Amino acid sequence: MSQELKSINLIAPAFRGVNTEDSPIAQDPSFADVADNAVIDKRGRIAARKGFEVITTSATPLGSNPITVIHEFEDGAGVTEVLSAGNNKIFKGTTTLTDITPGSYTINDNNWKVVNFNNKAYFFQKNQEPVVYDGTSAVKLSTVSGAAGITGKYGNEVLSAFGRLWVAGVTNDTSTIYWSDLLIGHDFSGGTSGSINLDKVWPDGYDEVVALSAHNNLLIIFGRHSIVVYQGAEAPATMSLADTINGVGCVDRDTVQYTGTDVIFLSHTGLRSFGRVIQEKSMPITSLSKTVTKDIIALLQNETESFRSVYSPEESFYLITFAGQTTTYCFDTRGTLEDGSFRATRWPSSVFKAYERLQNGKVYIGTTHGISEYKSYTDNNAKYRFRYYSPSLTFGDPSRVKFLKKIKPTIVGGNSSSIFMKFAYDFNTAYRTTKFTTGNQLPAYFGINEFHGDDPGDESNPLSEFTAGKLTSQVSLNAAGGGTSIVVGLEADINGSELSLQEINILALIGKIL
Amino acid sequence: MSNLLIGNPTSEYERQIKAPGGIYQNATGSSPTIAQGLNMTPTTTAPLFQMPSVAPPESAYSTGLSPQQQASLLGTIPASEESSGLLSGLLGGGGVSNLLGAGAGALLAQQAYRRLGDIGDRAMSGAEDIAQLGLEQTQFRPFTVTSATGGMFGVDPQGGTTMTLSPEEQALQSSLLGGAGQFFGQAQMPTAEREAAIYDRMRATMSPEEERQRLALEERLASQGRLGVRTAQYGGAPEQFAMAQAQEEARNRAMLGAMQQAQTEQAQQAALGQQFLGAGYIPQAQLLAATQPAMTTAQIQQRGQLEGAGLFGEARMSGLEALLSSGIGQANLFGQIGSGLLSQSLQPVLQPQSSSIEDLIKQYGIGKVQELLGLGG
Repeated sequence: MSQELKSINLIAPAFRGVNTEDSPIAQDPSFADVADNAVIDKRGRIAARKGFEVITTSATPLGSNPITVIHEFEDGAGVTEVLSAGNNKIFKGTTTLTDITPGSYTINDNNWKVVNFNNKAYFFQKNQEPVVYDGTSAVKLSTVSGAAGITGKYGNEVLSAFGRLWVAGVTNDTSTIYWSDLLIGHDFSGGTSGSINLDKVWPDGYDEVVALSAHNNLLIIFGRHSIVVYQGAEAPATMSLADTINGVGCVDRDTVQYTGTDVIFLSHTGLRSFGRVIQEKSMPITSLSKTVTKDIIALLQNETESFRSVYSPEESFYLITFAGQTTTYCFDTRGTLEDGSFRATRWPSSVFKAYERLQNGKVYIGTTHGISEYKSYTDNNAKYRFRYYSPSLTFGDPSRVKFLKKIKPTIVGGNSSSIFMKFAYDFNTAYRTTKFTTGNQLPAYFGINEFHGDDPGDESNPLSEFTAGKLTSQVSLNAAGGGTSIVVGLEADINGSELSLQEINILALIGKIL
Repeated sequence: MSNLLIGNPTSEYERQIKAPGGIYQNATGSSPTIAQGLNMTPTTTAPLFQMPSVAPPESAYSTGLSPQQQASLLGTIPASEESSGLLSGLLGGGGVSNLLGAGAGALLAQQAYRRLGDIGDRAMSGAEDIAQLGLEQTQFRPFTVTSATGGMFGVDPQGGTTMTLSPEEQALQSSLLGGAGQFFGQAQMPTAEREAAIYDRMRATMSPEEERQRLALEERLASQGRLGVRTAQYGGAPEQFAMAQAQEEARNRAMLGAMQQAQTEQAQQAALGQQFLGAGYIPQAQLLAATQPAMTTAQIQQRGQLEGAGLFGEARMSGLEALLSSGIGQANLFGQIGSGLLSQSLQPVLQPQSSSIEDLIKQYGIGKVQELLGLGG
């Protein structure tokens, strides 16, 4: 007697993102084992990320090097300008990279930290004399009229806050923070300038300043494995210690991002939120990357090049890129899971070397092509692979054999995209693959080919007055084989169209108990 | 030829002039005192102070001249037989008699002239003797005053003074003067070293509290995480600057205080030296003060001595003046007699006449004639 097909519906699979921390057995199908080049879209589905469009028309000044720093400079009149660095040069402009490197200045690295301060942009990186850009040209900081005390302040970190520049990460002086005179970013030895040495402040005896941040009227000083917080930094000479956090630090200055209500940073144990750290005193539950902690730790431990991050409220994500390992993790910031962590996805083979969120909400990306914008669904007109793999599914009964008969994915978007539906049994990595193509939908443009054109066969000119609604592709794929646990995967080359995985409906026969 | 005026009286006239209280006083006999001569009554009571022990001359109660001096002063009119014969001859009659009278008169006038000259010389000599005696009688007499504490103040005959303190006073004086020297020496020392010493002591007093304050500030800064604060404005944290400033001000005040204290001590040393110096001379001053009553009594004594010497000189001068007056009278009498004889002998002889002198002698006696002629003593 034939058995009834059992329908197992995976609605909005992986909307909780990747989870590599829990056991793959009996894992919630709302997690994904793999979610590459994916984001959580605005409807809570796993979807393909956007690609980037290169803005720069000529990357000749870069040679074969990437843009490693992008910064939006805004002067006092509100005029903005994009500054960037790469190939040991400093540029301004986006379509055309204009070299504004100070004359007779040899730059040996491209790890600048750039901040705006009092109508100027200041560039700081370790062992390099700082550079200041005044909207017209960039000069060495020591050449500014009235500059004082610059020597020995070649810090790796700079913060513009409380009316001053704060500099830290000076070679052989990693526990000292220097602040400039009030509103004078080139004076570090006069007026109300000063410094504070934290050798006697670190809660665990020793640390070194990695990053600085200003939040909630507090000066947050990130060490490698501790954090100290000062209050009253408006008057640095009298500011006092407000809090210290031991065991949580920051791995790199470029992992720190402000979300408006919090400060996100990457510690050596994963992504952290400063607000929660303060509230809960670095309890493990506060990790924002709990579902991918080990992966993150593995990456940061092996990172030798640089970290880059960006927070985009428009895209609702926090991206952190391990540049040396071409890996980016995307954390959805719309909400948190029950354990407080962000939903995470991974962007492998990432060529992104710099980020900057502009005031208009755009996210600029630095690559070897120059400055790009995070938009559309190609990487500089090249397709990229979206991958989803579920965790091992037992459908609530791991003891019985399941025989897949049908797999019915529902795909949103993906105009004529090739979809590779995959499945495997019992932790086998040799997936069986079924390919299908999503539907095709061309937009109708006003006044164009509204009433049939001369070439009705030209699909680029749809015979329609209006563009249809969201393209949804729902196919039924035959499956075979059986096993106690099943992994379902979906891969798609993203090549100009967005793609979201709405659901996967699986029809299976439930067999005997093994 | 014997002197009729000197020697034993042979007539009433001589007795009168040689009687006690007369002009001539026997140098060898028991003469009355000068006070008696001056009709003064000598006191027999003990003098208040011992008069200078100047031995009175033998003739202290006469003119003060020895008999030889007196004889020399009065001259030697020999009372020999030749003189008597000559006078008798003079008193004889006739031409020869006139001639003799003229010669005798000339001789007497010569004698009178010579006597007046001798009297001046002898008056000068007598006055010098009296002055010499006055010097001896008014000569300063040394004396010594001994205080109750054993100090002695002595005056030698030359007027030099000698003060000698008792051993206790000398020890005290040595101690005080030594102390004064030390104080003055300390007052003269530069104050820098003392200032440093005072400053060090003040700092030693202040330092523990400053250290406590520093530690308290350090703890406060540590609790606030501000130990490492360095500012261009204050150097360190403002509190550190304020504390450092306060401590520096305290150091400055201490330094100024030390300077003032050193100067005050210097003034105190000088004042103490002055006090010790003054106190060191107190035994001497007290000895000098103790001599003041003795000086007064010495002055009283000296006043009596001087007055006695003055009275003595005056009396002696009075006797000398009387003696000189009598000599002058004698010389005048010789001169009158001589001039009388000379003038009579030179008058023409109209009738025999008796000698007028002889007539006078016969009529009035020889004593009266001598008196009239001024031949007495």
